[in-house]
Amino acid sequence: MSSVSYRGQIAAALESGWRFAGLHATSDGASVRTLLADATGATRLETALAQAGQVPSIVDLAPAAGWDEREAHDLYDVGFAGHEPLRPLVDHDLRLDHWTVPVLGRDPYQVAVGPIHAGIIESGHFRLHVVGERILHLDARLFYKHRGLERAAEGHTLDEALAYATRACAACAVANGVAYAHACEDALGLTPDAELARVRTILLELERLWSHLNDLAAVCSGVGLAAGNTHFAGLTERARRLNAKLTGHRFLFGTIHVGRSDITLHRDDVRLAADEVAALRAEARRGWRELQFNRSFQDRLPDIGVVDAAAAARLGATGPAARAAGLADDLRTSSPRLDYAGFAAVTPERAVGDVQARVEQRTLELEQTFAVLARLLEGRIGPAVASPGGEERAIGIGRVESPRGATSCIVERRGDRIERLRLRTGSYANWPVVAYAAVDNLLPDFPLINKSFELCYACADR
Amino acid sequence: MLTLLRDLRKLRRNLDLARPERASSLAIRHVDAGSCNGCEHELTQLSSPYYDLQRFGLGFVASPRHADVLLVTGPVTSRMLEPLRVAYDAMPEPRRVAALGDCALGCNVLGTAEDIVGPLDTILPVDLRIPGCPPTPEAIAQALLELIDTR
Repeated sequence: MSSVSYRGQIAAALESGWRFAGLHATSDGASVRTLLADATGATRLETALAQAGQVPSIVDLAPAAGWDEREAHDLYDVGFAGHEPLRPLVDHDLRLDHWTVPVLGRDPYQVAVGPIHAGIIESGHFRLHVVGERILHLDARLFYKHRGLERAAEGHTLDEALAYATRACAACAVANGVAYAHACEDALGLTPDAELARVRTILLELERLWSHLNDLAAVCSGVGLAAGNTHFAGLTERARRLNAKLTGHRFLFGTIHVGRSDITLHRDDVRLAADEVAALRAEARRGWRELQFNRSFQDRLPDIGVVDAAAAARLGATGPAARAAGLADDLRTSSPRLDYAGFAAVTPERAVGDVQARVEQRTLELEQTFAVLARLLEGRIGPAVASPGGEERAIGIGRVESPRGATSCIVERRGDRIERLRLRTGSYANWPVVAYAAVDNLLPDFPLINKSFELCYACADR
Repeated sequence: MLTLLRDLRKLRRNLDLARPERASSLAIRHVDAGSCNGCEHELTQLSSPYYDLQRFGLGFVASPRHADVLLVTGPVTSRMLEPLRVAYDAMPEPRRVAALGDCALGCNVLGTAEDIVGPLDTILPVDLRIPGCPPTPEAIAQALLELIDTR
């Protein structure tokens, strides 16, 4: 496709309701593909062939493409005409003025945080430009944990490369694994049977369960409320023990395979799991009720780290961060390969996109997770497969709602081998939104704002 | 709030965790050198009521200058090599290095040769190895407690 029509196609698609869902360079850097998705879950790819190493930038049409274009430039040497300045992202250029936004004047100063943080936190660097205590701008430099997983997956078989997607991140191992499995099955023309859809949905919700409980514990620790932190940290532990009991692994590693599931559980074990889920539901509600009536906790949450609906849509926010701003987007409403019958996206009553709304959003989603698990944890769980019947393709696409938002996986294959693997996780989409949310807030509120998103670094860095 | 504290006391009573036999302490500085976040999530659990490692005097400190042990996770990425060295150099002696998780030990590491420069024992002298993917909180707790005993 010529470069003019590439931009034209994307502009027209965005105009008619399609949304940007990811961009990547092909393995040889010769072309760039943009993934678009609509509200019904349909996807399409628009490809631009590089001319003299350049493709036209779409960052003016879809600001959410900013990171994707910078990454494609750093890792695949593609230029993006019109993306000025094209700052390094994965490339750790040491010259400060190359990767930060210039903030000039007599009063602004910089606060550098990380890559090693004060607690048990993943590595990443935040460069805060501050006047007094107020944040003017935040440059986030991540990718300290970049392991080159996508590049390393190339040339491996579809089965082998699963590990590169799942081990990108422990907190999203199931979501990333299912997105990868869906992409492969899409390429191979396989459709999951009802039991496979059920098992994967259970696993996805077990992952969301411990993850959301952990997020609530993190927010409590962010405001220094030890009693709330220990309550939800304890529930997180119970959820992980449940995972270990059901699958042999606390983070559900090794449960996802391309085209099949090997998990078998006797109906009595499934019933015990359902009982534990019900007990966790009661305990989570109890903890949340206490937090709701705790004035010193609640006073810290409203009106900070605001990302309203317009900003969330423009920047490509996804998952709880987008829903807390009132955007009722949730891939679980359009996941024919999974078992989310009758699922509807939920948003908080006060959907203003601040820290309070994002915290409340987790509690609303926990209720949905408990309900889905209660419905699906009934009767034995048996081995399951995806069966052939669909059309085979060279490129497969899988999209899954992870605990942190929409995760897209694209698999480009030659026969049974990976030519290009691209994993764009909810965390990757939301990191630029965190930087936006920090602006105009007080420096001491930044850790709390950051925790209200609770994104993974590993998922973004890969 | 009082309800949560009452719950916590009940949980503590039910768990009946062992009391330390003698007073001791170990200050730990954790450095993530490219992990998948699994080791970090399990480390965080060590402070939950189910493990409560503080009762043995084990604590995670903010600065390497306050640390007895550098606890490293991940396969050591090229971009974390320098920060890792800086953290180690900032520690007072005697200092120990613990490799936490299979990646830090160089087992089944995924990634490109250009982006990964580990395993850890080719970069720093490793005193304690804690295998697992990720190691369970029990395994981490046991290994760290043994380190106190052999100090």
